[in-house]
Amino acid sequence: MPLAGSLDIRPLIDGSPEVVLDEDAALRVDDVDILQVLYEVRVADRESLVPPALNPTIPPVISFLVYRAKESEFGPFALAQLRLTARSGVRPRAYLISARCDNAELSALLARSWGFRVTPGDIAMRRFHDRVDCTVSETPAGVSRGLVRTILDVSLVDPVPVTGHDVQYPPGMHLARIARDGVLVPRIVQVDSEYEFRRADRGRPSLNSFDSSAWGDDRLVPDIAVSASFAACDMTIANVRYICNPDIPASEGTEKVSDR
Amino acid sequence: MEFGLFMELSVPRPWTADSERIVYQNALEQVRLADELGFDYIWAVEHHFLEEYSHCSAPDIFLSAAATMTKRIRVGHGVVACVPQYQSPIRVAERAAVLDIISGGRLELGTGRSATWPELSGFGANPDDTKKTWDEFVRVIPKMWMQERFAWNGRMFSMPERAILPKPLQKPHPPMWVAVTSPGTEIDAADRGLGCLGLSPGGFADSEKKVLNYRKHIETCDPVGAFVNDKVLTVNFLSCCEDGDLGRRNGLKVASMFSYMAAQLLSAKEVLPTHSYPSEGLLPALRRESGSPGDAAKGFKGVTMGTPDDVADAITAWENVGFDGINFIHQFMEVVPQQYVLDSMRLFAEEVMPRFKTRDGASRRPVAVAAGAGVA
Repeated sequence: MPLAGSLDIRPLIDGSPEVVLDEDAALRVDDVDILQVLYEVRVADRESLVPPALNPTIPPVISFLVYRAKESEFGPFALAQLRLTARSGVRPRAYLISARCDNAELSALLARSWGFRVTPGDIAMRRFHDRVDCTVSETPAGVSRGLVRTILDVSLVDPVPVTGHDVQYPPGMHLARIARDGVLVPRIVQVDSEYEFRRADRGRPSLNSFDSSAWGDDRLVPDIAVSASFAACDMTIANVRYICNPDIPASEGTEKVSDR
Repeated sequence: MEFGLFMELSVPRPWTADSERIVYQNALEQVRLADELGFDYIWAVEHHFLEEYSHCSAPDIFLSAAATMTKRIRVGHGVVACVPQYQSPIRVAERAAVLDIISGGRLELGTGRSATWPELSGFGANPDDTKKTWDEFVRVIPKMWMQERFAWNGRMFSMPERAILPKPLQKPHPPMWVAVTSPGTEIDAADRGLGCLGLSPGGFADSEKKVLNYRKHIETCDPVGAFVNDKVLTVNFLSCCEDGDLGRRNGLKVASMFSYMAAQLLSAKEVLPTHSYPSEGLLPALRRESGSPGDAAKGFKGVTMGTPDDVADAITAWENVGFDGINFIHQFMEVVPQQYVLDSMRLFAEEVMPRFKTRDGASRRPVAVAAGAGVA
């Protein structure tokens, strides 16, 4: 059998979002810019990166996935995620390590409806003719506002056009807590998003800085550059349809919670 | 119809000092039996770095052993990765020629280009280039075999004039094939006069379309070799047992495990936006997106499992689609006992194979069609 995840989720449960399942929860945002940069990571104990529900990929690959929208029903926002490639049964998925968002109202919705483990951060994405740069910074708790630190500085260099069909964003798998039979239990929430692409580019990845401990797992040290892409699209995050028990393989522990 | 066995040489964890030896020994025992029983082909894949899924990184060596212990079965060296970072086309031509000599002229050469990120990045290959390098490999290899001395100045590969030795025993050269997983590759195969080695067990409708496309294009092909190989083979899972339930149960074990493990592979397409890999890698029909974690063996109709009658019915359906033969995955990750595998092969050969062969063991369909045109 393939390697199964062995991540001890107990230390993560308390800080995980409490999700309220809502069939009407869907978020559509038009004119979203998306930067995705992928790196292989070299970790001796690959299984320990993901919960037992999931299988790690060989090699493990992290993705920096950044959304930026100039407008939405919550106003402008940017959301930066650190994800790890994985499998849920036979499906390609990405396990969310953590996220940063610069819009408090949207952050609350993302946590409550889809289990985004999101904290405040300042996110800047800048497009040039020959590159797309993104920085994520945060002010550590208890530190004055002037002492911001950069926790990610990443770029796509020398973009060339591809099609939206060439770009892949696997559904997210978010560790959260959900009420089942009146009890709050840990579950992995599958987050399915749909994209209508207007343009897509591919380029070389360039990573200038990355603070893996600030993102939640200091073992995730980028090793080999894989790819970088930029896309302009309309995006919809669909309502939650599947959740799974983090402690057993997803092929056995998945529950369908909505037919929509 | 022709029948072959497809060897991935998968090695399940936990690995012991003996795990790989046992898998290789079992496989060689299956090859010996397949030869006695009248199977047409034994194929051994080339994969690198794919933990558990395939430990068959030196298939020419495995096939050399297979060739020396068999008399009749065709030796399928494929799919050979036509990627220069893996190996030069010179080395492919040389090693294939040696295998043809050792086997007494029984070599079939299957060509391909790898589809997984661990393999391509492991060798430092650029996934964007593999279609181009494959195209150049399949054009130069037959020339290397046929010309006394060979020189080439190409886009992806060049060499000064040298004698590439030895030459294969089969004249003008061994049959060549292309692994077909990505949509449209069947047309690439047909246009070059190469056999179509199907590796994705898709549905009947999709398969029929592929076969028709291939047949249409090969009529006007410009062969890269000295003759046209116009055969189309597909792949399936073999489990033949008098107890149909046991046959299906064991067959599904193999199919499910194969599909599950194939789905774990990190395809190049998944991590790199590229036009070069339009499919999702191996077994696209089984990996087609749906919301749930999925059932690995669901959605694949026409599986060759069950009683001999069940298996024969499924083969008839594939024959009606237009295939010339089927390569079987009959074991994977050692999920069924070796004795069951051997018994299944024996029963298949006794009860099923004769229904699709003439009495002298030849396929009912005509085989390769000579194009007559030599290669300059």
